[in-house]
Amino acid sequence: MIDVSVKKTLGTFTLNARLQDEGFVCLSGKNGSGKSTLLRLIAGKLRPDEGFVKVNSVEVTSHPMEKRGVVLVTPDSYIPHFPVEKHLRWGASARGIRLAKDSVSATRAALGITYEGRMDKLSLGMRERVSLATAVLSHPSVLLVDEAFAALDDKESLMSALRGLCSKQGVDVLFTTQEETDGNGADHHYLLQKGTSTRLK
Amino acid sequence: MTPVLALLYWGLGPLSDPIGYGPEIQKGIALSLLASGMTVVLDIVLFTALSYYLARSRNIIAETLVDIPASIPHPVVGISLLVIDSPLTPSGKFLTSIGLNFFDSVLGLVVALTVISAPIYIKSMQPFFESMNQAHEEYALGMGASRMKTFLSVVIPNSTRGIVTASLIALSRAMSEFGSIAIIAFAVVSAPFGLSGTSPASVQVYDLFTYYGLGPAVTASAVLVLVSIPLMIALRLVRGGLRVEKE
Repeated sequence: MIDVSVKKTLGTFTLNARLQDEGFVCLSGKNGSGKSTLLRLIAGKLRPDEGFVKVNSVEVTSHPMEKRGVVLVTPDSYIPHFPVEKHLRWGASARGIRLAKDSVSATRAALGITYEGRMDKLSLGMRERVSLATAVLSHPSVLLVDEAFAALDDKESLMSALRGLCSKQGVDVLFTTQEETDGNGADHHYLLQKGTSTRLK
Repeated sequence: MTPVLALLYWGLGPLSDPIGYGPEIQKGIALSLLASGMTVVLDIVLFTALSYYLARSRNIIAETLVDIPASIPHPVVGISLLVIDSPLTPSGKFLTSIGLNFFDSVLGLVVALTVISAPIYIKSMQPFFESMNQAHEEYALGMGASRMKTFLSVVIPNSTRGIVTASLIALSRAMSEFGSIAIIAFAVVSAPFGLSGTSPASVQVYDLFTYYGLGPAVTASAVLVLVSIPLMIALRLVRGGLRVEKE
């Protein structure tokens, strides 16, 4: 369960968002509507001026990034010098989780990761699959995906594969998009307009 | 560039003097290279993590503290090390009791060079870490990796170029140091590789000048410049490489 009520002013922009849901949640809005800011507040990169961030009913508002159980995946979220297989296993080992024998191969299959190689040598789309898979394998409470689907040619099938994986593991997902129709593939849908959130479903 | 070119022309040409490139100055250069190399290793080990901390925390008090050695006259650094090491002070008594001696020793030389070069190393590493893409480490932190694990396995392996550049700058700074080491280690009493009794290269140049006047000092200076040219070229190459990589 993601439960957020935050107010944050950055220059002339004010974000005033309320979001409380679980499952696969879509956050749509135009450029500059505050989507990334909201995700950074939930991940702990930014601190709110007012309000709280709760993950599975635990308040984490003042927790550092590494103690929230929240992973933020953007197109830059990867560890450049790691090869794919090491990358996939690293997140779980960083959290001290022993992965079940076939979980890496199952995640690879689900997200179509059939390739190897150093992360910084892969194409953007290939890299993003590995970043998402690594994040899921690290068993977070919440996975935040910031525009990371945009670079993928088979966005819809990947989103539904990720949704399947995450619901099986009990990971809540909040993803941002500029296209309101992406909300159709989600359990819940919020719209951000000039920093103010509205729950559409 | 003019002083450097003038030095090379006069020192190796019309004013060339065998004392200026003789065995003593060669040993001095070897000692300076050895001590500067050890200094850079210390800079990397002790100050890479501090630079990273400064880059991420923007702690003004710590930044000011780092700047202090760079803003005091270098002989003062030498004198302060002498005070710390003096048998008249408790710290000096303690250092002597555990067998550490700064005065006219390789240790004193390296400690002085570290005090002088550390701010330069940190001031080069800090902007490197600041300009680094933080999304990589934030991603690692989000997956629950500790700050230390993130620093060691995500940040450091992607900082090779920054560390090499900062090390070369610190090495040049250490090689060219005079003020502090003329006081703390005018000549090292005991050193490895047959360098016992040798003065660091920059100290020798000053010594030659006060003893003989210009002649041998100009040649020795020209030889020192020749030694530092490969350093400058290496620095250019690494920085050039960095720029290409960013594009």
